[in-house]
Amino acid sequence: MSAFGAIFSREAGLAWAGGGGPAGPAAFFLGAITLAPLAIGPAADLLVAVGPGIMGFAALLSVLQSADRLFGDDHADGTAELYLLSGLSLPWLVLAKVMGQALATLWPLPVIGLLGAMMYGVPVLPACVGALALLAAIPALSLIAGFAGALAAGVRRSGLLIALIATPMMVPVLIFAAGAGRSALAGDERALANLLLTVAVSLGTTALAPFGIVAALRSRLG
Amino acid sequence: MLSYFSNPQRFDQLARALIPVFGVLAVLLLAVGVWLALLGSPPDYQQGETIRIMYVHVPAAYMAMALYAALAVASFVYFVWRHALADTAAEIIAPIGAVFTVLALFTGSLWGKPMWGTWWEWDARMTSVLVLLLVYLGYMALRAALEDTQQAARTGAVLAMAGIVNLVIVKFSVDWWSSLHQPASIIRLDGPTIHASQLWPLLVMILAYTCFAGWLVLYRLRSQAIRRRVRTLQRQREQAARAREEVVS
Repeated sequence: MSAFGAIFSREAGLAWAGGGGPAGPAAFFLGAITLAPLAIGPAADLLVAVGPGIMGFAALLSVLQSADRLFGDDHADGTAELYLLSGLSLPWLVLAKVMGQALATLWPLPVIGLLGAMMYGVPVLPACVGALALLAAIPALSLIAGFAGALAAGVRRSGLLIALIATPMMVPVLIFAAGAGRSALAGDERALANLLLTVAVSLGTTALAPFGIVAALRSRLG
Repeated sequence: MLSYFSNPQRFDQLARALIPVFGVLAVLLLAVGVWLALLGSPPDYQQGETIRIMYVHVPAAYMAMALYAALAVASFVYFVWRHALADTAAEIIAPIGAVFTVLALFTGSLWGKPMWGTWWEWDARMTSVLVLLLVYLGYMALRAALEDTQQAARTGAVLAMAGIVNLVIVKFSVDWWSSLHQPASIIRLDGPTIHASQLWPLLVMILAYTCFAGWLVLYRLRSQAIRRRVRTLQRQREQAARAREEVVS
């Protein structure tokens, strides 16, 4: 397991030191939720109603923000070939990579989601449920972004392509994660169900996506 | 059987035989279906004449999903057995499927206005069909972005197979999320719930669309194969000319 530990910490270190770490997604997330009230108007009851949804939506977009770096850089400098030649179990390897990067760059998202929801006037309990749902959604979101990133690795202006490929696949996670916050806000009992469904989608993605990422990497390297 | 038809010459023979069959069937079925749908069937007791939109809308939606399934199957065949023909099929199915998706969205919107009083509603079925259009566009964009044809083929196959998840969401969206869109009424375990006078025109139209799509796919598949052959012949001729020049000099 030590090889995967090394890859995990390499990826986390690279993302932290080289790519600005959590600053990029966090800044994007903050920017998005700051601009939303300016666009839809500052009416208090409207902002409460859209709060959980905007948090989920903005978090999803900020995950895409760093998706091109993960496999794009490895594709550019030949590290990806070395991974394929290394003889390590590739699905585990890409899982360690994605999770390493996710841990280093995406940890502020639930925190900002919690604070942002409260700034929108959402009560504490629904805001916490929303933040928990974001936390539960991060594995699925970052693995899907990683899959799109592996497909588009090395393509010029891959960011646009990644967004087009990844967003349709992120639909279920978004529905359940944002739904958890919205149900909690409405005070109905579906909040827990939505939260568990988010966890379920994340677990399912964790089981399946690494194989997809490996297939994508192989197909790009011939 | 797969390796039997991966021979380009055999495929060409088969396609040449099947293209007119599909073409004629499509024209005949469309003629009968349009007559049945517009004149030969009674207006609905609730929806009146607007029910006739169903006969263009439902087959288009069905083709949008069936063609995506075909795209995924072709991609799977290419991914496992590396038959170039399967990849070409996937490549040409995508734009056709995207057009049927647009048609389904457009006619659905036209139907929604008189029925639900809204051109567009963000309900599960409509939104997931819009997402299906995005999946088609993403597939085409990815193929277009990769210059190496073999990489485009393989990477596209991986994406097409992963995108099948969305097809499941589209199919069951009306059952999972109760919304404006009506639940499944034709393919059900306990038999169709719509009346025979509407079921028949609908089935004829679905068959007509299927034949039309089959005709389009085979036609474009064959022209693509011919184009490839021409390109190879041109390259061979250029090489031969170059070799001759070298001998002369």
